[in-house]
Amino acid sequence: MMERTHRMRRRVAATVCAAALVLPLTACDALTPGSAAAVPGPRSVPSSTAVPDGDITLRLQFADAPLMVDALIAAFEKGHPNIKVEPQYKTFSDYVQNLKLTMTSDTAPDIAQYAVGMTDLAADGHILDLAPYREAYGWDKAIPPVSLDQLTAGQTSEATGGRALFGVPAGLSMTGIYYNKELAKKAGIDGPPNTVAEFEDQLAAAKEADLTPLGVGALDSGGLHLWAALLNQLMPTDDYWDWVNGTKGATIETPAAVSASRLVIDWGRKGYYNDSANGTAQVDSTAQFAKGDSVFLINGNWAAGQLATVMGDNVGFFPMPGEQASSPTVASGFSVSYAVSSRTEHPEAAGAFLDFLTTPEAGQIISDNGFMPPNPDAVKKPEGVLADIAEGHRRAVADDGITTFPDFAAPAMLDRLRSGVQKLIANRIDPSDYLDSLQDEWEEHHAE
Amino acid sequence: MPSRPPVQQPPDVRVESPDVQVRSRGPRRRSPYRGYVYVLPAFAVYFCFAVLPALHTAYLSLFEWDGVTLGDWVGLGNYQEIFQDSILRRSVLNALVLVVFFSFIPIVVGLAMTGLLARFRRPGMGAYRFLFMLPQVVPLVAVGVTWRWLYGDDGLVNQTFRAVGLDGVTRAWLGDFGAALIAVGLVGTWVLSGLCMMLFLSGVQKVDPSLYEAARLDGAGPVREFVSVTLPHLRGEIAVAMTVTTVAALASFDIVYVTTNGGPGEQTTVPGLLVYRLAFSEGKVGLAAALAVVLGCLILGIVYLINRLSRSES
Repeated sequence: MMERTHRMRRRVAATVCAAALVLPLTACDALTPGSAAAVPGPRSVPSSTAVPDGDITLRLQFADAPLMVDALIAAFEKGHPNIKVEPQYKTFSDYVQNLKLTMTSDTAPDIAQYAVGMTDLAADGHILDLAPYREAYGWDKAIPPVSLDQLTAGQTSEATGGRALFGVPAGLSMTGIYYNKELAKKAGIDGPPNTVAEFEDQLAAAKEADLTPLGVGALDSGGLHLWAALLNQLMPTDDYWDWVNGTKGATIETPAAVSASRLVIDWGRKGYYNDSANGTAQVDSTAQFAKGDSVFLINGNWAAGQLATVMGDNVGFFPMPGEQASSPTVASGFSVSYAVSSRTEHPEAAGAFLDFLTTPEAGQIISDNGFMPPNPDAVKKPEGVLADIAEGHRRAVADDGITTFPDFAAPAMLDRLRSGVQKLIANRIDPSDYLDSLQDEWEEHHAE
Repeated sequence: MPSRPPVQQPPDVRVESPDVQVRSRGPRRRSPYRGYVYVLPAFAVYFCFAVLPALHTAYLSLFEWDGVTLGDWVGLGNYQEIFQDSILRRSVLNALVLVVFFSFIPIVVGLAMTGLLARFRRPGMGAYRFLFMLPQVVPLVAVGVTWRWLYGDDGLVNQTFRAVGLDGVTRAWLGDFGAALIAVGLVGTWVLSGLCMMLFLSGVQKVDPSLYEAARLDGAGPVREFVSVTLPHLRGEIAVAMTVTTVAALASFDIVYVTTNGGPGEQTTVPGLLVYRLAFSEGKVGLAAALAVVLGCLILGIVYLINRLSRSES
């Protein structure tokens, strides 16, 4: 009898404990995930550009080109003796993965490199809208419009009348095709192609000459650069922008995208890629190309410094050509850009730093570090393959043809693209199924 | 089976028990709770750093949350999504294939090696154990990077095949749709075989050498000796090895992340990788938490099964 009441009491105690644990979990709103990350004060920078006196320290968190950032900071501090910029370098994957946590924490850096997650952060007010500075500093004149269009965080900008701006570019990037001049000559190729069809003929000629035509590092992102480069030529640029920006009703399931995907399959079937494209990382494909393993290589300008050093005059670059010789030059690219946290106490100083990035002095530093400055006219002419890239970029900018990378369409898109293109290369998926998987992801993300 | 000897029990316990009850009305009554007080510090640490996070994960799995903005309550919606998503289902199948390479093969290899070494026991056994332990000491990320080179185009694996004239077999192992999962699995085999061998070798050292002597006098061959003497004594170790390696297979992340990142296609995608991706790069924290809960339950279930089986046989 006693034992029973004892057991009963214990059971009651256990129930009460469990209830005490669970009740606050369900009842209290404060426990809803995300409620702690309240949106901080202002959403936009002040309209005044005057930097207050007194010593100011700005923290700058970034993931690309540490040498360039150090040089930019040194030059900026010389002109602004009362502002100190403290660089905080993180590797790219660390940076991207922690970006949301970093920018919503109380210790968020004043300035942070723009990356994929910034779109969501901008929508929730965690980074500042720079529109007032855009007017006050006249950035529209100093920076080509395509480079600013990428930094308007998609739909967020439309909601604010299209003038919103969430970052300022330092160096610009673009993807394209590198070629080994010696090997190209051996295969009877006498210069960059003018059309996609001509490029296909050159790939065939290289294959004929018993060389590996095109190096692709599809283990990580090399494959999606190839697919995007072809897509850029076949799909109307406006439709592509709509899709990447998440415009309502946009779709990637178009005949043009099917054709681009089919080209990736066809080139694989014809043996145009390195045998192990799917098992080769982008950096490895670059190293193999530098060794002379393939005639062409798909990659971005970020590889130019390395290739110029190893191959000297033997390497050239051209943007993927269009369907016709008269087609505009369209290439995917982005920028090393910087955004300002809503939690900063010194928006004016941060604005002064961003404005410094648009000056000729900064442009020269950017150019010296292998990136393309937003305003190329202000710097010395580069040489060799860097000149090829600068020329390609100039043409793309003139044609309004720098598009963002397709993974900007949704946070999960990178994985869909990577594994999808691997399947295309191995001829293991139908183009329509591949595009369908991308569209599914797009719809899931843009449903809200 | 020899009949068990009766448990040595003081015969007077039952007689005395009412007396004890009577006395326990005094200050000694609280004694059942005193034990809990001693456990409390350890329990508090365990509760704060293991139980609470686990409960929090389970709680998060009921939300649709991007990791930043306010989450939306979706109840069991995330779980529904898990069982409908073909990539997620695929990843669980891949993990089960990895169990073969991470658990089954290492245990068989370990047992075979132990059978060979146990028969000729020499003082140098410690050195063997040290050698077998080495793959365990290397961080898994370093293991993964090294194997990525070995499996590469001009890596040691392909070089070896070319050296013996098998040029047709060479390929980028980690980029091949047919070979990638097996290639990743074999890395696990390499890492975990040593652990199993080491466990079994130390287990076999507990066996009384006279048993082997007796078996040999009875004319037992090496196989018979292994089956009748070594194997039964290793049951506990096998259960431990099975538990550890199966958990390693189902929760595998580092090797896959470093070597293939789940590719090509979804050939080597495992649940651990998806949890990481969903939570940190895709902003689907709720879905990631739900997948983690399902994975945790799956692992607990399998471990429970292994323990049940190894116990019921003893």
